[in-house]
Amino acid sequence: MSLLELERAEPVALSRDPRARLAELFGAADITLLAAADGCGVQAATGFIDGRPVVGFATDAAIQGGAMGAEGCRVIVAAYRTAMDAGAAIVGIWQSGGARLAEGVASLDGVGQVFAAMTRASGRIPQVSVVLGPAAGGAAYGPALTDIVVLGPAGRVFVTGPDVVRSVTGEDVDMERLGGPEPHGRRSGVVHLLADSDVDAIGKAATVVGLLADRDTPVTVVTDRPMANLLPASPRRAYDVHPLIDQFLDSPGVELHARWAPNIVTALGRIGGGPAGVLANNPMRLGGCLDSASAEKAARFVRMCNTFGVPLVVLVDVPGYLPGVAQEWDGVVRRGAKLLHAFAEATVARVTVVTRKAYGGAYIAMNSRSLGATRVFAWPDAELAVMGAVAAVRVLHRRALAGVPEPERPAMETALAAEHTATSGGVRRAVELGLVDEIIDADTTRSAISSVLAAHPRRCGNHGNIPL
Amino acid sequence: MAEVRAEMVANVWKVVVAQGDQVADGDTLVILESMKMEIPVLAEGSGTVDLKVEEGQVVQEGDLIATVE
Repeated sequence: MSLLELERAEPVALSRDPRARLAELFGAADITLLAAADGCGVQAATGFIDGRPVVGFATDAAIQGGAMGAEGCRVIVAAYRTAMDAGAAIVGIWQSGGARLAEGVASLDGVGQVFAAMTRASGRIPQVSVVLGPAAGGAAYGPALTDIVVLGPAGRVFVTGPDVVRSVTGEDVDMERLGGPEPHGRRSGVVHLLADSDVDAIGKAATVVGLLADRDTPVTVVTDRPMANLLPASPRRAYDVHPLIDQFLDSPGVELHARWAPNIVTALGRIGGGPAGVLANNPMRLGGCLDSASAEKAARFVRMCNTFGVPLVVLVDVPGYLPGVAQEWDGVVRRGAKLLHAFAEATVARVTVVTRKAYGGAYIAMNSRSLGATRVFAWPDAELAVMGAVAAVRVLHRRALAGVPEPERPAMETALAAEHTATSGGVRRAVELGLVDEIIDADTTRSAISSVLAAHPRRCGNHGNIPL
Repeated sequence: MAEVRAEMVANVWKVVVAQGDQVADGDTLVILESMKMEIPVLAEGSGTVDLKVEEGQVVQEGDLIATVE
């Protein structure tokens, strides 16, 4: 453990002083401010993370609760200009009540100009937000426009605070329930990462910047680690996918939106030294089905990785889209379409590994060959089909099955399913059709993925990262 | 007291623990069957389990499966 890590392991309370927060971000004792500190309520500085230049700004909670006036907003817009000119990532540290009331519409105009600067920078430079205290109104939408939002334990994000909620709707709610770690970590999807402390929050932001801003570390082909033993014996049994991801990444990655739409895992990490974005169905949650929220979460992640040139690794074990009225009314068609769009437009290298099954529309959505996957691998027992073989023969042979006595039916179903797999489905058929490039031994997955990424030149998409 | 609720429509395929058992965080309480998958339902927290379902029953999304206290 390095000295820095030792220091970070200590739960030290961090000062609210923006200068101290920016010094923590850059791991520096002292920092150079972009403009002399005054009463505008925002300070900005340049520094380095992993040796790459980064711009940071922080609101000053000690001045009018960190509220944003026209002058403070100009400091943020100037910080964005500096970052854009240098092609550097930018990190905003937030604790702010929103637009300054006393300045009236002038402060609203300033906040609007911050939003416009963020949008111009979207997809061009990585933008990470750290919310360490209340961030209301304009200070909520600022972070929301960026690529990644990290929430500290005291972070609260909401459009209107408890007082307004109470006076307008009569609802009695506190700041934590309105916009704390629980609602934003689990329900809203506003926050990507929850932190244990302010220092942890800033450390997580620095880690993410290190991954998203790394456009040059080459990928080397890496040695294998066993993976076949990580699947349960029964193909019907659900399991947690996290150990599989940890096994093929160099070291455990950073999972984004871990508790929101947990039926799909999105994580940033490294394989063969280079950065990678991982998407994986998690059979332990909702059976690993895609649904409207998970499709939207995955689509935004794919687009973020694509625009910053981070290659994608997609681990597929999906029984389909979650059926039901709730899903249809929730817009699973519209929100699911986002994932199809995101993969189909992506120009980064993207490798698919079908570990167990890929059925139906969800097969297509999980970076199939048809959507332009760079390479599709399948483990030997993988099944690619419109639906499971037994379910398929129940439809295809409904009359024949109805004609046999009940006790004989399961045996007949099994026999028909085996025949169906041999003739229509099965991973070998997918290889013949060119939908799977190669059947690989599960234990060679790590080298297979890294070989593809090592051979593929780094590219990036040319689009913004709208917060889908 | 922690409530364990069904995440999706499913059949209660197997009840793994008995009424009143002591369970630990992460223990499998019941196994649901849905989407051709067997999906274990885990305890969130330790304590005494009070089961609200039996094998063969259909649960809807949000239905209470057990409480742990």
